[in-house]
Amino acid sequence: MSSNSRPLPIIEVLNLKKRYGLIQALKGISFSVGKGEIVGFLGPNGAGKSTTLKILSGLIPADSGEAKVCGVDLAEEDGEVRNHIGFLPENNPLPEDLRVIEYLKFRAMLKGLRGSRKRDRIRIALDICDLERKVSERKIGNLSKGYRQRVGIADALLAEPRLVILDEPTIGLDPRQSAITRKMMERLRGEITFLLSSHLLSEVEACCDRMVILSHGQIVAEGTLPELQKAYINKTVFEIVALASKIDIQRHVRSIDESCELIQDEPVEVSGKKRFIFSTNQGEVYAEKVLKHLIKIPEMKVFEFQIERPDLETIFLRATKKNWEKNDLLGKKSRRFRKDDQD
Amino acid sequence: MRQGFWIILRTELFSLFISPATYISTFYFLALLGVGFRFFIESFPATNWILPPLSSLVLGLLFGAPALVPFLTMRTIAEERRLGTLETLMSAPINASAIILGKWSACYVFFLVICCGAYAYPLIILLIFPEQALSLGFNNIEHWVGGFVFLMSFGASFSAIGIYASSVTKNQMVAGMLSFSLIALYLSIMVFSYGEPVVNNNIDSLRQLFYTVGGSLNKGLDKINFFAVGIIHFQTILHQIIVVLFFLSLGTLQIEKIRH
Repeated sequence: MSSNSRPLPIIEVLNLKKRYGLIQALKGISFSVGKGEIVGFLGPNGAGKSTTLKILSGLIPADSGEAKVCGVDLAEEDGEVRNHIGFLPENNPLPEDLRVIEYLKFRAMLKGLRGSRKRDRIRIALDICDLERKVSERKIGNLSKGYRQRVGIADALLAEPRLVILDEPTIGLDPRQSAITRKMMERLRGEITFLLSSHLLSEVEACCDRMVILSHGQIVAEGTLPELQKAYINKTVFEIVALASKIDIQRHVRSIDESCELIQDEPVEVSGKKRFIFSTNQGEVYAEKVLKHLIKIPEMKVFEFQIERPDLETIFLRATKKNWEKNDLLGKKSRRFRKDDQD
Repeated sequence: MRQGFWIILRTELFSLFISPATYISTFYFLALLGVGFRFFIESFPATNWILPPLSSLVLGLLFGAPALVPFLTMRTIAEERRLGTLETLMSAPINASAIILGKWSACYVFFLVICCGAYAYPLIILLIFPEQALSLGFNNIEHWVGGFVFLMSFGASFSAIGIYASSVTKNQMVAGMLSFSLIALYLSIMVFSYGEPVVNNNIDSLRQLFYTVGGSLNKGLDKINFFAVGIIHFQTILHQIIVVLFFLSLGTLQIEKIRH
């Protein structure tokens, strides 16, 4: 989904700021999330992800800026926004001595669900989160981390929310349980808007329509994965496995695209075949042109061709690197000034 | 807000009724109270106690409250803060005052249930030994009602103090000890005399109210003389309501402070 054709916004944030004592947690961030989108919030520890999510869920107020959730201005509302959202806090704190079903009944009542609607919604939430009847009768304190996380998500989904905010929903879960959480989001894709924060980049890459990358309280990158790839990776890397000499293949490749460079000094040789890695400034289209050209030359004998698309981790590191360096420099500067003052 | 209050009240009452700790503390408290009451009743003719014998039960409950109330209140918010469930609770459409009011009401109701349990002793005497009960004046309903209203008013303020103590810390034990200290301090303030109140009819109504409420602190526990014989002393009730509102407001502010 490109930023131009984004659906109606369910979250609109403009110049949001928050300070905790001397620490400026958010330095004026602005972004929007459309209806039905699944947006991933990424960032290193202390980037301001949880603070943003707490502000959006109405748990804490912002110092300044504007934030609208489901059309409700957070600065003017009095807890109304919590009727429209489901929130899973970081670490998912739950009462240990209640049974799953008792807890969900309690939460459903708090969210204004009554009678048959309450029963139906609890049943649906349990079903979506794969919490079978046997588990729902167990005490929360006796559940594994994965089941506890699913109870938290079931709670977030109880009152048919328009927006579900999940703060680190898969932290500490094994791959199977993470997959269940992803499956749950896939099932609800389009119906509910999801805003989730995560450290697991592969997971965000797999299930999110769009990503917002935060660093030191600022948004350093925003967009879909192809948009971010385009913005942060300006070289296309491709791999060729062929029966050819280094000089020959370099000559043929350069005849199509002069900017192509062989990345390694010596290609890796496996059972007579050589693996060459090239990079180009011209993009994927030229890489494909190179392939078409090489196939036509019989003595080249191309066995494999692969364009390496940069993963989110590379983008994340590049997007946050500049901000880290800047903030670190500021930190060093301020430390130096403080030292000078003391002298 | 009202809806949230009822749900919190129900859940808290449920957790109080299923908690073994509350049953154990209640059992020991009522057992000790029962033993004390029995010895008092036995030796009553030899004492120069001027109040109805039933008032001894009320005083026993009142002076035992600093030990009992912390058991009921110390878990309420301190445990939620320790587990982090207060944040989860606040993510639902409910405000801090509904949480505080709901938890206080549950502890207060449980305290009243314990008071009812204590009142079972004179009731048993009345049913099994009606002659002795009549000689002790247990047949006067106004003594029962007056004493219970006295307990209701003080129980409300003690529970509010306990709830506030629970809201300031994440540690249950600290909350319990703080609650005990504050209730004991409050009781000791109420015991002493601060001189005779000045009667002045020329002061405005606001100052009159201030003197009335302040006056109820002066030898506050002596007001049991009214309640024990069935006279409802409204200044004492008003005073306790103000104490309740004060500590519940402090508790609410404490939760709001945690949020920010």
